Amino acid sequence: MLLVQLLASGIQTGLIYALTAAGFALIFGATRIFHVAHGATFALAGYAFIEGTDWGLPWPLACLAALVVAVAFGLFMDYFVYRPILRHEASFFTVFVAAFGVVVVVQSILEVAFGRSFVSYSSALTRAVPVLPGLYIAPVFWVVIGVTAVILVLTGVFLGRSRAGIGLRALSENPELLRAFGLSSRQLSALAFAIGSALAVPGAVLSAATTGLQPSVGPHVMLISLAATIVGGIGSLRGAVIAGVLLGVTESLVVTVLDTQWSEAAGFVLLFGFILFRPSGLLGRAVAR
Amino acid sequence: MIQRRTLLAASAAFVAAETTFGRPARAEGSYIIGTLFPMAGPNAEYGTIFTAGAQMALTHIAEDKTLGKPVELRAEDSQSTPQGGATGMTKLANVDHAIYTLVGFTGVSKAAAPIGQRNKVVMVNGGGVGPDLSGLAPLFWNVIPLIDKEIAALLPWMKGQSFKRVALVYVDDPLGNAVLKQMNTVLPTIGATLAGSYSIAPTAQQFGPIAAKIRDANADVIYFASYGAQQSQIIKQLRDNGLSQQMMTYSAATIPSVRGLAEAEGLVFTAQVSDWSASDPVTARFVKDWRAKYNGDPSTYHQNYYNAVWLFGLLVQSLEKAGKPVDGEALRAELLRVRKFPLAGGDGSFDDNCDISFPIQVNRMKGGSFEKIG
Repeated sequence: MLLVQLLASGIQTGLIYALTAAGFALIFGATRIFHVAHGATFALAGYAFIEGTDWGLPWPLACLAALVVAVAFGLFMDYFVYRPILRHEASFFTVFVAAFGVVVVVQSILEVAFGRSFVSYSSALTRAVPVLPGLYIAPVFWVVIGVTAVILVLTGVFLGRSRAGIGLRALSENPELLRAFGLSSRQLSALAFAIGSALAVPGAVLSAATTGLQPSVGPHVMLISLAATIVGGIGSLRGAVIAGVLLGVTESLVVTVLDTQWSEAAGFVLLFGFILFRPSGLLGRAVAR
Repeated sequence: MIQRRTLLAASAAFVAAETTFGRPARAEGSYIIGTLFPMAGPNAEYGTIFTAGAQMALTHIAEDKTLGKPVELRAEDSQSTPQGGATGMTKLANVDHAIYTLVGFTGVSKAAAPIGQRNKVVMVNGGGVGPDLSGLAPLFWNVIPLIDKEIAALLPWMKGQSFKRVALVYVDDPLGNAVLKQMNTVLPTIGATLAGSYSIAPTAQQFGPIAAKIRDANADVIYFASYGAQQSQIIKQLRDNGLSQQMMTYSAATIPSVRGLAEAEGLVFTAQVSDWSASDPVTARFVKDWRAKYNGDPSTYHQNYYNAVWLFGLLVQSLEKAGKPVDGEALRAELLRVRKFPLAGGDGSFDDNCDISFPIQVNRMKGGSFEKIG
């Protein structure tokens, strides 16, 4: 039963990773911008949610507040950080350093505004109850599964069926051609940042309830998102989701054979393995040069 | 009209001059106390707490006007890592010319100690509790009882509760490894055993798998040795994952984020005795001013770093009166000559290793505060 318990725990963690990684993968897939500040979006959304509930807002309104904050921050990054830099055809490193600088600023702002300590959202949904002898599952487990399924279906339908969604997929391939079809690459880029940032919200809210948050959570989230994006295949939303789950389950199951402190490292060993033996990731396309 | 280039050159020259000459010039007219605390990252909460305690003592020293020179505080971020400790101590000793530094965290202290000792800088620890911090260097002092004393104080209570199988969750660093070693040694003396020991990386944030392993090990009590935001995550996630066993830890749990955590209700932890109703003048002033400023009681960390700075004031005052130079060696000699000092919380006595001795009590978390249970 230990194995089943670890599997359940890993699936819950992995789905939260998947939700977080999906936003980063979508932004990177559409714009090719290495949005390091996605971790800051996650932190801002989480703190907005907790602050909203502390003010007495019902949780749906607190989620809405988190959504507004996340989308506004994503658009801010697109308009005021990335576009001015990319206008001068800046290198990847310029974009990376600028975004990383924003991450540090956001962390400092959160520390000043909300203190440096751990915060969490207490909910009865996170309390595990025995469902079988030796197997404990919290209601939030089913919530995580449901939320992930709904969000992924909606995102999939949007990207596959709507004109804007198809435009987003085309954006990374040929922005010039998009213009010929009457689509604005600037607007599509803003849309990518808005949707990608919105996708960070469920993960942030669920993390606030399950593991809690601290101002320095951003870089850790970013690391997970990056690992999931690479393992899943750069540019593949579906791949990032599968990889997120794979990372979570690996971290959890590895404690059956290795010391518990190797749990987190195991996910990155997996990442390293993919980089070495399957650099295109699970669902990415191999590119010949 | 000043040209742009001239203005830039003048600004650069000012910055260079200020960097080169500014700090030492001020240092000559004041005593420099350095702080080497985590000021960012998951343990930053401690940095804020430690600094607040030290600042209150500085305020009191300034109000009393007992020292010949003002005291200045210079801060370096240790990032709670040994690397950060070594870099920070180097800067405090060589750039800021601090003669007295406040440190916390076992790993940071162990990395900083050789550098401080080489530069004749006193280092006072009020936060790290690894047992090997005792006698780490002649100029390394502890104003906090170390973890071996805390665990020893917990044993009689554990025996009274008839706990037999202990699960230990410990961070893989000098503190955690010291706790593991100590537990392996002392648990058999009360008829208990380690049912399982689970090491975690200092950056770990997911404890669901550990909860599953603890349940599988059939432990009847859980002791965790961690600090900062991580200990709140451990408590919350172990409880959320259905573990209802008694949880225990050490004095790191006195920080507000743990006290405010609903899942921490009932947590048992050890800490030095803090009697805020004591009538001695040092304690009474500390508690009165603390309550006036922060609208609540101080924690033991506030007390420790208040005491560290207050001790500096007492030692320097004696040295100045005797007309002796104020440096690391002289401060140590004065400490070992006097040994017993009036500090916040009562008289503090120092042994040959310059470790303070304070009685330790067992507490239980109750409604965001704690009550003494042993």
